[in-house]
Amino acid sequence: MSARAARRRWTRAAWRRLALVLLWLGHGAWVLVGPDAGRRWTHTADTLALPAQGAARQWEGWRARRRDDGRSLQDLQAENTRLASDLAALRLQNAQEAPRLAEAEEALRVLGLRKLIPLELSAARVLFSTRPAAFGGLILDQGRDHGLVEDQGVLAPEGIVGRIWSVGPTQAKVLPADAPNASVAVMLIRSRATGVLQGLGASRAHIRYVSNQEVVQPGEAVLTSGLDRVFPRGLLVGHVVRVERGELELELTVQLAAPLDRVSTVLLLPPQPPLEAQQPFVQPEQPKPAGRKKGTP
Amino acid sequence: MRPPTPTTLRQHLLCAGGLLLVVLTAPFPSLQAVVHSALVLTLAPQPGAPLTGALWALAAGWTLELTLRLPPHLGGTAWADLTLVLIAGWTAARWPLDGPKDWLTRLTALTVLHVLLLHWMVRLAAGPHPWGWSWLWTLLSLPLWAWGAWRLLHPAAPTGRR
Repeated sequence: MSARAARRRWTRAAWRRLALVLLWLGHGAWVLVGPDAGRRWTHTADTLALPAQGAARQWEGWRARRRDDGRSLQDLQAENTRLASDLAALRLQNAQEAPRLAEAEEALRVLGLRKLIPLELSAARVLFSTRPAAFGGLILDQGRDHGLVEDQGVLAPEGIVGRIWSVGPTQAKVLPADAPNASVAVMLIRSRATGVLQGLGASRAHIRYVSNQEVVQPGEAVLTSGLDRVFPRGLLVGHVVRVERGELELELTVQLAAPLDRVSTVLLLPPQPPLEAQQPFVQPEQPKPAGRKKGTP
Repeated sequence: MRPPTPTTLRQHLLCAGGLLLVVLTAPFPSLQAVVHSALVLTLAPQPGAPLTGALWALAAGWTLELTLRLPPHLGGTAWADLTLVLIAGWTAARWPLDGPKDWLTRLTALTVLHVLLLHWMVRLAAGPHPWGWSWLWTLLSLPLWAWGAWRLLHPAAPTGRR
């Protein structure tokens, strides 16, 4: 045991021999590295550093991707915020311009109606409506200064509205057709039976003086007859919604075509318009043509 | 009759003096080469202490190269000196000297080997280089510095003259 330990123990001579060997090998290695030691050491260091450089590149690439992802996320969030603000601004603008747009559309429709009716029509704007009140009506922004007089017919693109009831210097009041004290000379489009429309309120009216011998069906259009000299013949008034046969005459209930609660722009007919001004808005049902006779082309 | 072995202290002092001469003779490369060869081949080798002789040889080689500022890569001279001093020490231990003739013969062989090994290792370290004439001066002056070293190392030994 002790002999083995003694063999293992290094003597001073062995250490000296080891030092000599290391000195000789060290100098030899140093000499063999040669004059390009710097380049070779650099090459060796570069070779040894390749794994670390690869790992560093991976790390830097990961950080760059993460940074780009974060930047793109921030850009998306900023863009989302910007789009949300733009959307809110557009909605606000849309809400602000909606009345003007509706008014413009109404004006276009009125303009179209004005082209259809070959009369000297003037447009007016409805300032406000007092229809919910008793004997209420529509207040127009024009009055005597613009040449308005009483009993001028008032139209909307959908149908008649009423007549001018009173005229002030700058404003005029319209008596709507559904007012209890309003009356319009009308006729049924199919039977051509004439009568007098009297208001019932809530955009409804009934027609009087139509004989119970007439055949009237619900849904039949009601036009102005022109006999009252307020409206010319053929303007749409509304449609029959209920027909009841009375003792002497038919009890006809009519739903007015013009939206009296939502009308904002109206056309004013000239006073005492001619009886015939235009073709009726609603074309009467055309009878089916008879079968061709033999020998006719 | 074998000459007595010089004391360690004497040999260290002689090596230190030789190293100092190597430094001082730096302005004269030919003379420095002679002193350097004498230090490495005669003063540094110690049969019983190879490490000490190796360190003196290394000191001599590095001192020579540093004083000459040999570009571009140093170390070849020190490596050659180390190798030679080990060979010289091994030779001295393997075949002890019998007299000045053996000493001169052995130094001649070692000097030639030193010159060749020195140029080869310097070529390995620094690349191709001119040989110069230092090796010739070293060989020509070999009897002189060999005799001087013998007298310094073995002052009591016979000079060979009868």
